[in-house]
Amino acid sequence: MSKGKNTILNLTDILVTIVIALVFGLVFRLMGPVYDLVQPLGLHLDALLYGIWFIAAPFAALLIRKPGVAFLAETAAALAEMLFAGSGGIVNLYYGLLQGAFSEAVFAIWRYKKFSVSVVSLSAFAALIASIILDAGYAYLPMLAGWNLILYLIFRIIGAILLSGLLPYVLVKGLEKTGVTQSLRPVTKEDYDVLDK
Amino acid sequence: MGDIIANRGKLFFKVNPSLKFLLTSSLFILYLFVHNLNTMIWASVFFLVLYVFACGLSGKWSFGFVLLTLILSLFSASAMILFGKGNTVIFHYSLIMMTQESLARGIMLGLRTFCFSLIGMVFATTTLPVPFFYSLMQQLKVPVRYAYGCLAAFRMLPVMGEELGHIRQAMRVRGMANQHGVKAFSNKMIRYLLMMLAQSIRRAQRTAIAMEAKRFSMTEARTYYYEIGWSVYDLYFLFILLITVTSGFICSSLFPVTPFTNVLDH
Repeated sequence: MSKGKNTILNLTDILVTIVIALVFGLVFRLMGPVYDLVQPLGLHLDALLYGIWFIAAPFAALLIRKPGVAFLAETAAALAEMLFAGSGGIVNLYYGLLQGAFSEAVFAIWRYKKFSVSVVSLSAFAALIASIILDAGYAYLPMLAGWNLILYLIFRIIGAILLSGLLPYVLVKGLEKTGVTQSLRPVTKEDYDVLDK
Repeated sequence: MGDIIANRGKLFFKVNPSLKFLLTSSLFILYLFVHNLNTMIWASVFFLVLYVFACGLSGKWSFGFVLLTLILSLFSASAMILFGKGNTVIFHYSLIMMTQESLARGIMLGLRTFCFSLIGMVFATTTLPVPFFYSLMQQLKVPVRYAYGCLAAFRMLPVMGEELGHIRQAMRVRGMANQHGVKAFSNKMIRYLLMMLAQSIRRAQRTAIAMEAKRFSMTEARTYYYEIGWSVYDLYFLFILLITVTSGFICSSLFPVTPFTNVLDH
């Protein structure tokens, strides 16, 4: 068995990733108006919700555990949100691309071998950094008053860790019980060891 | 979206989807570097005109969307308006400090969101998924596996909707709809998500195996059922977009509505 074969995405991986992204794209589309409606309250409760937009990448990566999945999932989810005419339209795609790339980078640092809560949360955090980079240019984030900006960032970090770090982990743990994940993950050495016994 | 989209004969339906996609997405880059409030105001006016003529929605829906987007866009700018940095104070109450600069910046942000939502809506309602993904494969050379994957996924949407209804009914029969409280709610949400995801993953796997058997991921010597090409409508589209964008810039220098030519200054 060659080592490289495990890491290449086949049609099953791609389709599963895209279908997941579509489900989350729908969630994003439905969350969009909710997010906008919370905003005028002023205290940045919206920033707590922002974290849900990073979920597609860590979730798909946890599920399929191959290179490229995180990036594909986040981008496809953003594309889906755009095609469902979500608020912000074309802007979503840029956010999706950058967030996906940053999320992916975190999994790549651990060479797609470690998928613990902390790594997943870190990937959500990386997506958050990507969103802040874009927001600094697009939403004039540095132009907010100091205390407000800090409140905003703290809420966004909490939201990202909870909704895109812990939530996907809990969801995938739940999915593992249903057994669907077994056929998705690349075969590991332990699986072969079982055969030798 | 069958009955919401009114008229499929409109010009924008006939434009090459890849061209439409690339040009509309490049608008984001363009307006990222615009900090002149007047330009944004005029751009919103012209994009609104474009929207009225080009959008695929039927009249009633179309008006409702503009109204909703305008309100939501102003909401999205509220933080900047109320808490932004600035020197000339208009209104001050405890933590809220509204300044001229922050108001201008907030309106700028709101209009930006408004513009991009309109553009996004024009794109989404005049672009059908099948020609869009075929065009991505043929013009932008997106790998066949990804494009057909997206198309297959879009086909699963109605089934997912039906499934959601089934889960809701099953929960009602078992009395879960009567449970209240935060814990019951989160339990219900997790169950919804888990069931939807597990079923979708299984379905995606079966579909992928069937597609693989039919050689959907083959790359060499591929033929396409739909050939998406170029037409004179692409030129029209290019002109319309160019006129919309440039007239926004010209009007802003000829008829400045506000004194804020750079909202980043303060």
